[in-house]
Amino acid sequence: MPQKNAPPKKRGTVKIMEERCKGCWYCVNYCPTKVLVVSPRLNSKGYHPPELKEEPPDKVCIACHLCELFCPDFALVVEELK
Amino acid sequence: MISAGKKSTMELLREEVESLLRIDRLPHVWCPGCGIGITLNAFLRALIRAKIDPNKTVVVSGIGCTGRAAGYVNMDSFHTTHGRAIPFAVGIKFARPELNVVVFSGDGDLFAIGGNHFVNAARRNHDILVIAVNNFTYGMTGGQHGPTTPTGAYTTTTPYGNPDRPFNIPHLAISLGAPYVARWTTYHLMQLQNSIYTALHRKGFRVIEVISQCPTVYGRRNEMKSPLEMMEYFRKFSVRKDDATFDEMELTYNGRIVVGVFRDVQGIPTYEERYNDIIRRAQK
Amino acid sequence: MKPGYYFWSGDIAAAEGAIFAGCRFYAGYPITPSSEIAERMALRLPQVGGKFIEMEDEIGSIAAIIGASWTGEKVMTATSGPGISLMNENIGLAAMTEVPIVIVNAMRGAPSTGLPTLVGQGDLMQAKWGSHGSYEIISLYPDSVQETFDLMVDAFNYAEKYRVPVLFLIDGMLAHMYEKIYVPPEDAVERIERKRPTKPPGEQLIYEPDEDLIPPMPRIGEGYKIHASGLTHNEKGYPELTPQAQERLIRRLNDKIRKHAEEIWKVEEYRTDNADVIVVAMGSNARAVRTAVDEARKEGIKAGLLRPITIWPFPYKYIEKYAVDYIVAEINYGQIYHKVKEYASGNVELLPKMGGELHTPQEILHALRRYKK
Ligand SMILES: Cc1ncc(C[n+]2csc(CCOP(=O)(O)OP(=O)(O)O)c2C)c(N)n1
Ligand code: SF4
Ligand code: SF4
Ligand code: SF4
Ligand SMILES: [Mg+2]
Repeated sequence: MPQKNAPPKKRGTVKIMEERCKGCWYCVNYCPTKVLVVSPRLNSKGYHPPELKEEPPDKVCIACHLCELFCPDFALVVEELK
Repeated sequence: MISAGKKSTMELLREEVESLLRIDRLPHVWCPGCGIGITLNAFLRALIRAKIDPNKTVVVSGIGCTGRAAGYVNMDSFHTTHGRAIPFAVGIKFARPELNVVVFSGDGDLFAIGGNHFVNAARRNHDILVIAVNNFTYGMTGGQHGPTTPTGAYTTTTPYGNPDRPFNIPHLAISLGAPYVARWTTYHLMQLQNSIYTALHRKGFRVIEVISQCPTVYGRRNEMKSPLEMMEYFRKFSVRKDDATFDEMELTYNGRIVVGVFRDVQGIPTYEERYNDIIRRAQK
Repeated sequence: MKPGYYFWSGDIAAAEGAIFAGCRFYAGYPITPSSEIAERMALRLPQVGGKFIEMEDEIGSIAAIIGASWTGEKVMTATSGPGISLMNENIGLAAMTEVPIVIVNAMRGAPSTGLPTLVGQGDLMQAKWGSHGSYEIISLYPDSVQETFDLMVDAFNYAEKYRVPVLFLIDGMLAHMYEKIYVPPEDAVERIERKRPTKPPGEQLIYEPDEDLIPPMPRIGEGYKIHASGLTHNEKGYPELTPQAQERLIRRLNDKIRKHAEEIWKVEEYRTDNADVIVVAMGSNARAVRTAVDEARKEGIKAGLLRPITIWPFPYKYIEKYAVDYIVAEINYGQIYHKVKEYASGNVELLPKMGGELHTPQEILHALRRYKK
């Protein structure tokens, strides 16, 4: 049995192609660990892209790739950390 | 913590998605949160996983927001006329049965102006995969009602609510003998991808209906103002039921969405296979 | 077909001529008086390894042949006026995306359902202007079963060479008329294939024209990652929705035909030397004119026949060439008459018939007598 508060095994990070983002925030909403947040920045089209805001040890990107599948704009690339 | 070693399957998949897009054309034309991009992503991933040669794959679209999909895939791709994606694809497939032919188009394109082609191509069982993006409306022209708009829904041409009855697409496709018929929403990321993957391995006239959000011109007139609200509707109101009855497959205004693989049968000869027999007979 | 003599209708000759020209893909929907073309193709194409499909309508038929053409096949469909009316949107698509296709129109009495079994020439302007926008097509119109067969080779050659829809006109009379015809040996004619890309995938822009304004055409499945769209597009084939891109593309689509018009023109000039009056007539209607011209000459009337075989681009230089009076005898209420008027220096008279029958030699002769000097 994994311990309840044990740090997640798989870790990742997200490359955000800000210029492709249109600010739908599916990624922000459906990220299971809520590590994506709406950034205050604006891209050239006037949308707020997401940004990664981890709070280790447990609020981290677990490389589930869900945001990558949700993103309608092909703006996200999840990289797994090994 | 430094990513050095071998790339994971998912990372490789993402790289290949990039290579199958005409990235010099991104960002694409679709609105924030539009479901067409999600569907396209699922299709590309399924294609890669199915290990089908993209150079032997053709994507044919009609006209509409969904019709623009052909313009973003880095494969042989055709943006045809409104409603005519299916017969255009039929010509390609019949001439070169070795090609993998996919129609990617919208509900209006496939079922209103192109309805006759859908019906007859399904009946003949051409070996084509049809990905039908159903956003309940004509997105491209500003959100008029179409053949899949639920009864009661508000659109620019049904300002008092839609008096029409919408097509029950899986029912229609099954009644025409289509060997693979499924429905998903854009919330069903993996199920949709897996379903396309399966369908790519099947033969004959395969239909996958994708219930997709058009927040811009449909959602905001129908109590779903943001992309997220539409996605939440799909999340909360979808139920998987592979053995659904035709009545259960029917869609109602902001009601339950029954999803699943409603039909998956193999061994029905395709038109292209049957024509090979014709050639043999003619040459006897 | 084995070389030799056959007794065929215009419809059969159109089908056999197409196969002789290399056509191996046909999609169509039956309509009088063109249905025998579909029937012949259904019988013959599978024998030569080709494909025939009867589609659900004419819109599907033309869409299917455009798709098939992208695989490298020589393709055809055949119909009559009502079918052309349905096809017109996709004729524009083929013109815009530069796809070689051949469309036979067996013209009948019109408009609407008109006279299904009887002759008409009311679709001459439709052939040129049927779809929306400024574009050029090529249109040919033979006057005999033999010429129908022979001209099919030219029709396919033009479609392939210029990457353009070719509207092959016949009429209700020609379609159903039987004549003895000669099929030459396979190697007796030149068959032109569309220009192929010279650069490898990745380097070849899909719509980059050569000096002749015609881009080479890759096939589906070769790795060129073709993108073709009916939207205004740039040389990559990508939509570019600007006045500048429109200016470049539409000019080129038209100029690639206009600049080669003289190579495309085929005109029969019958006894036009030293003529005072020339009858312009096309298709099966020209046959009576030939007889009438002979009779008129016997009576001392210096008459001639000018028969445009190429209807579009209109062979206007042949009209300009003669300082004569023209009579335009056509089975409509004045179509090519207006083109002749545009270029003639002398008087131009319209001798129309509304459809259902051709002019008789007597009617033509009667008109010619007014020009006796
Ligand atoms: C012959 C013709 N009629 C009408 C139109 C205008 N038109 C363009 S797209 C469209 C509807 C598209 O709806 P759908 O297929 O559902 O695609 P969506 O935009 O919703 O993805 C219409 C009516 C057209 N392009 N051509
Ligand atoms: S990969 Fe998963 S955990 Fe990481 S940011 Fe994306 S959705 Fe969140
Ligand atoms: S899902 Fe994509 S487009 Fe939407 S906010 Fe996230 S990065 Fe931007
Ligand atoms: S109008 Fe609707 S369907 Fe079209 S791109 Fe926008 S959200 Fe998508
Ligand atoms: Mg739609």
